[in-house]
Amino acid sequence: MSEAAQLAVNGLMSGSLLMLPAIGFSLIYGVLRFPNFAVASIATIGGFSAYVANVFFHWPLPVSIAFAFLIAGSIGVGSDFLLLRPLRKAGIVAAAIGSLALNIFLENVVRFSFGNDLRGLNVPIMRDVVVLGLHVGRQQVFNVAWAATAAIILFLLLKNSRIGKQMRAVADNPMLARIQRIDALQVGNITTFIAMGLAGIGGALLALDTSVDPLLGFRILLPLFAACVIGGIGSFPGAVVGAAIIGIGEEMAAVLWSPAYRTGVGFIAIVITLMIRPSGIFSRQ
Amino acid sequence: MLVDRRQAISSLAALFAAALPRASLAQSSTIELGALVPLTGSGGSYGPSMAESIKWVLQNVNDAGGINGRKLNLTVEDDQTNPDSGVRAARKLIDVNKVVAIMATWASSVTTAVAPLCWESHTFLTTDSGADSITQLPHQGYLIRTEPTTTLIMTKIGNFLADIGVKKAFLISAQTPFAAPAKAVLGKVLASRGGTLLGQVVYDRDKTSFRSEIDLAMKDKPDLIFLDGYTPDVTILLGDLFRAGYDGKKIARGYAVNEKLLSSLPPNVTEGVFTVVPSPEVGSATYKSLAQHLNVTEVDPYTCEAFDQANLVCLALQKATQPTGTGIRDAIHAVSDPGGTVVYGAVDGIKALRSGTRKIKYSGVSGPCIFNQIGDIVDVKARFEQVHNGKPTLFKIT
Amino acid sequence: MIHYLLDVGTYVALMAIVGLSLNLMWGMAGMINLGMIGFFASGAYIAALLTTKLHAGFLQGLLAAGLAVAIMAWFIGYITWRLRGDYLAVVTLGFSEFIRLIASNEIWLTNGTDGISNITAPFRSSLSPLAFSVAAFSVAVACLLVALLAFQRLCYSPFGRALRAIRDDEEVAWTAGKNSRAMKATAFAIGGFSSALAGALYAHFNSYIAPDSFLPLLSLYIVFAVTIGGRGNMRGAIVGTVLIVAFTEGTRFLVNYLTFLQPVQGAALREMTVSLAFLLILIYLPRGIFPERMLSWRFAGKPAQ
Repeated sequence: MSEAAQLAVNGLMSGSLLMLPAIGFSLIYGVLRFPNFAVASIATIGGFSAYVANVFFHWPLPVSIAFAFLIAGSIGVGSDFLLLRPLRKAGIVAAAIGSLALNIFLENVVRFSFGNDLRGLNVPIMRDVVVLGLHVGRQQVFNVAWAATAAIILFLLLKNSRIGKQMRAVADNPMLARIQRIDALQVGNITTFIAMGLAGIGGALLALDTSVDPLLGFRILLPLFAACVIGGIGSFPGAVVGAAIIGIGEEMAAVLWSPAYRTGVGFIAIVITLMIRPSGIFSRQ
Repeated sequence: MLVDRRQAISSLAALFAAALPRASLAQSSTIELGALVPLTGSGGSYGPSMAESIKWVLQNVNDAGGINGRKLNLTVEDDQTNPDSGVRAARKLIDVNKVVAIMATWASSVTTAVAPLCWESHTFLTTDSGADSITQLPHQGYLIRTEPTTTLIMTKIGNFLADIGVKKAFLISAQTPFAAPAKAVLGKVLASRGGTLLGQVVYDRDKTSFRSEIDLAMKDKPDLIFLDGYTPDVTILLGDLFRAGYDGKKIARGYAVNEKLLSSLPPNVTEGVFTVVPSPEVGSATYKSLAQHLNVTEVDPYTCEAFDQANLVCLALQKATQPTGTGIRDAIHAVSDPGGTVVYGAVDGIKALRSGTRKIKYSGVSGPCIFNQIGDIVDVKARFEQVHNGKPTLFKIT
Repeated sequence: MIHYLLDVGTYVALMAIVGLSLNLMWGMAGMINLGMIGFFASGAYIAALLTTKLHAGFLQGLLAAGLAVAIMAWFIGYITWRLRGDYLAVVTLGFSEFIRLIASNEIWLTNGTDGISNITAPFRSSLSPLAFSVAAFSVAVACLLVALLAFQRLCYSPFGRALRAIRDDEEVAWTAGKNSRAMKATAFAIGGFSSALAGALYAHFNSYIAPDSFLPLLSLYIVFAVTIGGRGNMRGAIVGTVLIVAFTEGTRFLVNYLTFLQPVQGAALREMTVSLAFLLILIYLPRGIFPERMLSWRFAGKPAQ
């Protein structure tokens, strides 16, 4: 029984890191109505930004994470504006494929700059905390706290701020939003900035948790999408719950099946969701 | 007067030969050799020094007059530690450069892919890949390897573990074809010495955390965990083991626990880790001069093997009836089987052969270099070290 | 050099067959597939295993590979027929990754990451390496032409027209009595069959396959190729594939001149160039080089191009 509990804890930990890029992806999907797969490589960029801030500039962790947010958000919205916006005019499919190409491009810019090796941040390796017979990594606890904080801030932003209301308006009904004189373009850019920034924080936390290399984004792409599909694409709470489910699912697969097939979980999860409840748990009508 | 006439005739002959266009000679005047090494990819830290050591051997042989007057020409190709690239590079070496031998392939997957191309084209292949299956291929003698098989090295490791008092061991292996044979051999050896191999978990190298694997490994409280992987994954594994509070013994391969790993982990995480490598002949004069030439204090085992392979190929070429892959194949045992004058380098061996010595035996820096019928080395010394304060220190050589 | 060009040319021809297959599924039936390499790899492995482990004949291996993958593809098309573009995209990508994982981990079956080597091919031992490459190239190009003709025929057939009707407006097609589900599945099956054949040929010509030969990146490149060529246009698919492979191989030579770069940087630069070039071309030619001419509402009765 304690094994199952440990599994759940491990899963929730890894799921909480997946949560932020998943929210970002969902956000862009909801407001801009297209899947921007470049979130994966933006997460990698976030991870490397934190690495550079921490290891080269010797900035403290909170500053490094904020730095990751800014860099990721800027590159995200910049690349979107230059390269993806023209494609959106040609349709969702063109934009989606374009975002895949952009993802490859950005991943290789990272590879060009840093090489393929794993990089670790200057974080002390500490023994786990043991609570009620369950192991939890000390760094993991910090990471979950960071992720939860970012998510809560975003949630409050969406609910209460003017820009948040505008984003929801555009997401729910773009035509009506236009009638209300909401500048869809500006809202879109802000959304992309925030969403990509979140992905960047996600990448930074992943880097803190283990390490960062150019393939970080590719590794989380399928689980990220699976989390959004399960939770209901375009839904904020959906992304959170979906990430938790995927996290736990991957841990279970590692133990029950084989650690090598972990990534198969995302794939199977999507297939099952699409067969049972295609619009996801928190689907919007 | 006789001497003058002889001199005159031989100089005339030389002039005549020089005036002939090269194509009219049956053979070209250089012997082409190839090195297919990982300059990039996961083996990328070894490739460059492997190539350099081969270059050095050939340079020395050329400076001493080459093989029967013919110079050796080396082409180095990068296999990117990837079998597809390896195959393309090998095709180029065989078809375009027309090499008679390809040396120093490192990754087992590359060697497995490239071997058929070699034996089909009668090109001699020397490798430092360890997968048991490689020498089982129908290579018709066109392949030798200087790296011990998994069986050989695992037997040594198993006995060592029993010697240091391990009763319950667990094996965490990277996803490679070595994983299954390693488990089989280690389990058998431990059982024969009164211990048990509790189990094995095989992990996908592409991951950044192995907590679940470690939880599995620690479940039955082993005295020792064997981390059979490469530098990036072993780095993560050691960190995760520390976090999980594991206090038992740990052992890993020497090529994984290298300078990079030791400098990226704090000393308390790596304290006490045992490492194992096939032992180079560290004391020998040749080893020292190789280290000096490469400007390092320690030469990694793969570079030692590449060095030996180059020497063996040169000696076989000298001994062979014709300087082709088939010639090397037929002569290789004659220069490596025990018996005869022992030589430690190609230059000395060539000199001995040319002055009429009937049998020479090359003794290498990576080991004694005695091969069996299918091209495997018959024995190896294993060198066990233990990390203290972030630095490896010699523990035992068996 | 000729030998190298022949090998690249063979590879292009086989990839172009996969491109045509994608065009059938996506261009005609509207089902995007980011996992074409999964079919290609499955065909390669099945043929390789049958000929090396069970000593099947060359043609038998090809046929078996094609049929087995066709059946698998039919099921995938059948299950996913209702999926919208982006979902389908990621599901198919996941499928391709799954195939690669199986190939890497089920060592008892596939030899794992070591791959399967020494795959025979007819005439390999009796011909010189150069002559064999010429033969392989010819066979690959011949198969490509056969595939092109067959698919173009399919395009103009009632089946092809029905597929396009389904792609353009599924509800209308349904009311016209077209069984969308079966047709999409069939399109998948045909595309799977031809991709698998191409994969099987690749295994035989290359004499060696390993999971790393079938990276998901290749699937994306096939999608890029068909997009640039013009979705729905068969010749476009071939042109697009030639462009993409020419670009990826050509940049290899260019990068060699930049000797100050480390090898990993050279590889990264090549990928950057290909992806950026693709993006720019897509921005300026969103419908590709040979866009399919759109039917306007008024001429709904006329046959499609």
